[in-house]
Amino acid sequence: MEYRELVKSIPLTLRETLSEKLMDIMLEAKDGSKVSSSLAKMILFYWQRDQLASEAGLTNLLKAVAGLDPIKTATVMDDFGLKEIKLVLRPI
Amino acid sequence: MKSFGIEFVPMDLYWRTTYYTIQAERLGYDSIWITDHFNNRNVYVSLTVMANYTNRIRLGPGVTNPYLVHPVMTAQSVASLDEVAPGRVICGIGAGDRTTLDMVGIEMKSPLRTVREAVEVIRRQIAREKGSYEGRVYTTSAGARFNFKVNQNIPIYIGAQGPKMLRLAGAIGDGALINASHPDDIENAVKQIRRGAEKANRKINEVDIAAYTSFSVADNEKNARKPVIPVVAYIVAGSPPSILEKHSISIDKAEQIRSDLANRRWGEAFSAVDSDMIDTFSVCGSPDQCTDKIESLFKTGITHFVTGSPLGPNIRAAINLFGEEILPYFKELS
Repeated sequence: MEYRELVKSIPLTLRETLSEKLMDIMLEAKDGSKVSSSLAKMILFYWQRDQLASEAGLTNLLKAVAGLDPIKTATVMDDFGLKEIKLVLRPI
Repeated sequence: MKSFGIEFVPMDLYWRTTYYTIQAERLGYDSIWITDHFNNRNVYVSLTVMANYTNRIRLGPGVTNPYLVHPVMTAQSVASLDEVAPGRVICGIGAGDRTTLDMVGIEMKSPLRTVREAVEVIRRQIAREKGSYEGRVYTTSAGARFNFKVNQNIPIYIGAQGPKMLRLAGAIGDGALINASHPDDIENAVKQIRRGAEKANRKINEVDIAAYTSFSVADNEKNARKPVIPVVAYIVAGSPPSILEKHSISIDKAEQIRSDLANRRWGEAFSAVDSDMIDTFSVCGSPDQCTDKIESLFKTGITHFVTGSPLGPNIRAAINLFGEEILPYFKELS
């Protein structure tokens, strides 16, 4: 499943807070250089427009954190009750 | 008019500092200052990315030095940056720090004259002056001009700590960046800047006077104080005896911290930092405590307050706390 498809399944009411939590993972991860420069620039593009909670913004964030810190990402998904996303994230 | 700035050290990945820059602009900060050390990421690369993702905030090196970077190159860099961020570029320049210069075998000769001439060269380059420049430190020939058009309004801020450099900032700077955090030190610095300005027949309000502080904010005082300890250890270690004595800080203790740091005994060095040292060399605490401290600093005559490293235990949270709980108080006042 594509990241965008996963994001579409996230309830709108959760997206703002979820984007904040995922951004925390990005900012606090030890090896941030794992995020490609092009992906980082996409995230900055959406952040500049205050659209990290949009479908496109979240898709990029999810893609970044899933590679950066899969364990923390899984924990956040659990916390938000998004267990299905947690389960499908690994094979992507 | 009060302004508020924030310093970032490009030790972290470019996208993180850029993220924080966008956050700071959105919250109403007025200026971004990026430190310039050869062992961190390049200051102008960092600034260019930041400029691309912002629209309003002013930004520039804080501070570069004329020993490692020739002033014609500084002029070229800020002028080029101004094309990316028209009218938003500021340029902080100071003598640099001896420890970093020592590492690359550069002697800090005649810092006052060097900074003065560097500022003159930068201004001449930006103004595309035709004649040659004959200083004692720098010379440029009549042909040493930019081949491109330049916005001539790039304010130059002089980073200063000692009385002579502060007076120079008052005499020739568009702004001064006072490297201190304690109200008494800043009050004395403002007096020196004023003296320098008066001697040069300038009005003090022609100089934007910034307190460039070591800053940390968190939900509570305890959490805010912890991250400033390493920064304060280095400040104590690098402070001259006159400053330590003035604040009743034991010179022996400072000497011990210096020795521990030099021998990479971080634990010993950091545990020797006490509350008085933190209060002397940083502005830190809860948002309310920081607001009070910043207010007392503005009473000394500064016009600009810069939150320098470490900012807080969590940078993103610290920027939010400052922007949402401290900044509105002062913006409302002005």
